[in-house]
Amino acid sequence: MQPGKVDHQPAYVLHSQPWRETSLLVEVLTRDHGRLTLVARSARRPQSALRGLLLPFAPLTIAWFGKGELRTLHAADWQGGVPQLSGMALICGFYLNELAMRLSARDDANPALFAAHDAAVRALAREPAYGAVLRRYEWALLTALGFAPPLDADDAQRPIDPAARYHVVPDASPHRLESGPADAGVGGATLIAMAAGDYADPAVRHEARGFLRACLDHHLGGRPLATRELLQAISALPE
Amino acid sequence: MKNPPSLDSLIAALKVLPGVGPKSAQRMAFHLLQRDKAGAERLARALDKALSNLTHCERCNTFSETPVCNLCADASRRQDLLCVVEMPADLLMLEQAHCHDGLYFVLMGRISPLDGVGPRDVALEKLFHRALDGVVEEVIVATNFTAEGEATAHVVTELLKNRGLKLTRIARGMPVGGELEYVDPGTLAQAMFERRKL
Repeated sequence: MQPGKVDHQPAYVLHSQPWRETSLLVEVLTRDHGRLTLVARSARRPQSALRGLLLPFAPLTIAWFGKGELRTLHAADWQGGVPQLSGMALICGFYLNELAMRLSARDDANPALFAAHDAAVRALAREPAYGAVLRRYEWALLTALGFAPPLDADDAQRPIDPAARYHVVPDASPHRLESGPADAGVGGATLIAMAAGDYADPAVRHEARGFLRACLDHHLGGRPLATRELLQAISALPE
Repeated sequence: MKNPPSLDSLIAALKVLPGVGPKSAQRMAFHLLQRDKAGAERLARALDKALSNLTHCERCNTFSETPVCNLCADASRRQDLLCVVEMPADLLMLEQAHCHDGLYFVLMGRISPLDGVGPRDVALEKLFHRALDGVVEEVIVATNFTAEGEATAHVVTELLKNRGLKLTRIARGMPVGGELEYVDPGTLAQAMFERRKL
């Protein structure tokens, strides 16, 4: 038995980059061991069996060994069931990966995060409602990492009223607004829908987007998301 | 004990190469200066020549010593077909395959958001003007089938769609001469997802 050997671990590749002559440095998100970096030796050789496997957005089971920060990939097996993402779904997929890389800690086992990632990748491959998929993932990610503000009651411990408006901040309970314009803050209905993971209503998606963005930006520490900039650049292409 | 400044600056200069750290750079510098002075001179001259002579072709953006490269200047090639690739190496491979008698456009990179490479870092604007010169009728997107290549293909498609051009993507699937029994499952699965009507 080799030191630190792990077998049959469900995983997604988040990112990979060339390393030395023929190897790859692969950042993976695993179910029971969190996010870690593996060296895939000889993965860039023309005949390597890993070539068609170590792609983002493809469910894998992997095995690795080694101690310390950089471990060695031993095997990767294709699990299948998800067509390669393309077009806008692919850009959304990059966004999931960037969020997971930026916000999750290395070697921090987080099965809830993995489940959210898995569900989001499968949903992107299946349905064209990317907005709902991204909002659900953003909330699940914040919840899994313990960053999500509590949404079951307001800051006075009263249950959320769907008809009321709330002032929300990234790390505290919502504060009920007793007066002010009808579009101030976030609606109680949106907070209830978010807690239930229900983004079918476009108004909920719209309000949740701003709130989630503020929460994410709060935890991202000011450095902009490259995928968000890419999306903005695509929508700014000459008409 | 400190190195002479010119040796230090050579070591620092060699570190610009990808995958070369301080130790490798020092090893290379010692090798060049001590074991292979003629090679060092050739390297210096070649670098100097490449830097002063090479530019990007006005039309296809690949490296060229003339304003328009040989390939773009070849009037016998189809002028209405434009094949978009990531790197000059991809162009050479397509030429070796004798499968394309039109012209090329080399993006000189791929969009990779997680590496901080965005649309501004590849030659999209030049492609835009090249593809809309009025002669090109079909643009073949031949970026790699990696996640980054696909993202680049998406951006190129968004850039050129609805402009009266025929946009196509090279096909992906079973390798020529491939047997189902021996192909990797990712390729096989994608070939199944993208099966075509007969």
